[in-house]
Amino acid sequence: MKLSVINGSPRGASGNTATLLEHFKQGFLEIEGNSFDIINSIKNRPEFAEEKNMFLNSERLIIAFPLYVDAMPGSVKDLFESFETLKGKNPELKLMFMIQCGFPETHHTRFAARYCEKLTSKLGCTFAGAICKGGCEGLTVQPPALVDKVFTRFHQLGKEYGVTGELDSTILGKLAHPEHLTSENIAQVIPMVNNFLWDGMLKKNNALDKSFDKPFGEDL
Amino acid sequence: MNILIMNGSKSGSAIESRVSEIMSSVSEKGHSVKELLLRDMNYSPCRGCFNCWVKTPGLCVFKDDGDLLCREFLSSDIVILASPLIMGYPSALTKNALDRIIPLIHPYLEDVGGEVHHMKRYKKYPSLALLLEKSGDTDDEDIEIIKEIFERAALNLRSSLKFLRLTDSSVEETANEIIRN
Repeated sequence: MKLSVINGSPRGASGNTATLLEHFKQGFLEIEGNSFDIINSIKNRPEFAEEKNMFLNSERLIIAFPLYVDAMPGSVKDLFESFETLKGKNPELKLMFMIQCGFPETHHTRFAARYCEKLTSKLGCTFAGAICKGGCEGLTVQPPALVDKVFTRFHQLGKEYGVTGELDSTILGKLAHPEHLTSENIAQVIPMVNNFLWDGMLKKNNALDKSFDKPFGEDL
Repeated sequence: MNILIMNGSKSGSAIESRVSEIMSSVSEKGHSVKELLLRDMNYSPCRGCFNCWVKTPGLCVFKDDGDLLCREFLSSDIVILASPLIMGYPSALTKNALDRIIPLIHPYLEDVGGEVHHMKRYKKYPSLALLLEKSGDTDDEDIEIIKEIFERAALNLRSSLKFLRLTDSSVEETANEIIRN
């Protein structure tokens, strides 16, 4: 089985989207005979020749991106616009999406996923599912046990996909946990993210005391 | 009332004349209205570096028209995103502009009605509204999907999506709806 992937993250090969895809890939390639092809950076605007070629010549394609302002990044929207000329040109394509976000709840990604499913119908392909995952900001500073669990699930999902050619709904469900948080969980998660992730980065840049700066108007 | 129209249309789009008519109508009613024609502006897509949150808080490290987008956005009472629909969503010009306003919010998270969202950097943000031009394949589901996503985007600004109108709505009704909000 051959799987193609377009990584739409503006951070390209160095971002969290790439890291998660890598674990999926490792699982997928454990199955003998499988092959994996990835475009890790979409910078060929506005033509996107390589990406269009991949779209036209794949049987199975994942388009992956981080959530930006509740939807796909503008650069990914640019890519989707370039696909307008490809409508109906690869009806055999099974199109999937991977959407990850920094917010702890996976629920934030569901609205973009609904758009992706509709986009697939406009392109005349088969929608073969969306891998949705919250809690992905600061993967590098999260406790290793938590991060390992996420990586292991991406690996399992890739492996299972490599066997069946389908995204396993049970693993998708586990990956998506938590879809929502209880108020008790929110009260635990927020200080962890604010103090460990953001304050840590602000301190590293000597910018903690400027954190609440209002460069466009102190009185606004 | 300060009204900002962020026009994300490509050259020759039918939305252009509709925007002009709406601007004239709200101006005649005594309101201040400004248009940013996004295609004539110079701003890079957001690269997700988060330097605007952790290195130069509140400011993007790109020195382009992103600062102007932020300034105009913040000083408005309502921002109307005017765009043709392309592949079932407002244009990439519009989305790239929206991605560049993240310096206006703070990286810290907080509980907003039982859901985690970013904290405000400024006291108040404008209301959002959408003026959209249908494409040949636009259907009701497209509109519903867009509405849901922009309601979420507005929530992140502790604001709200005041309306979604199509360019085939009457100019007068659209102008009145802007002013009502």
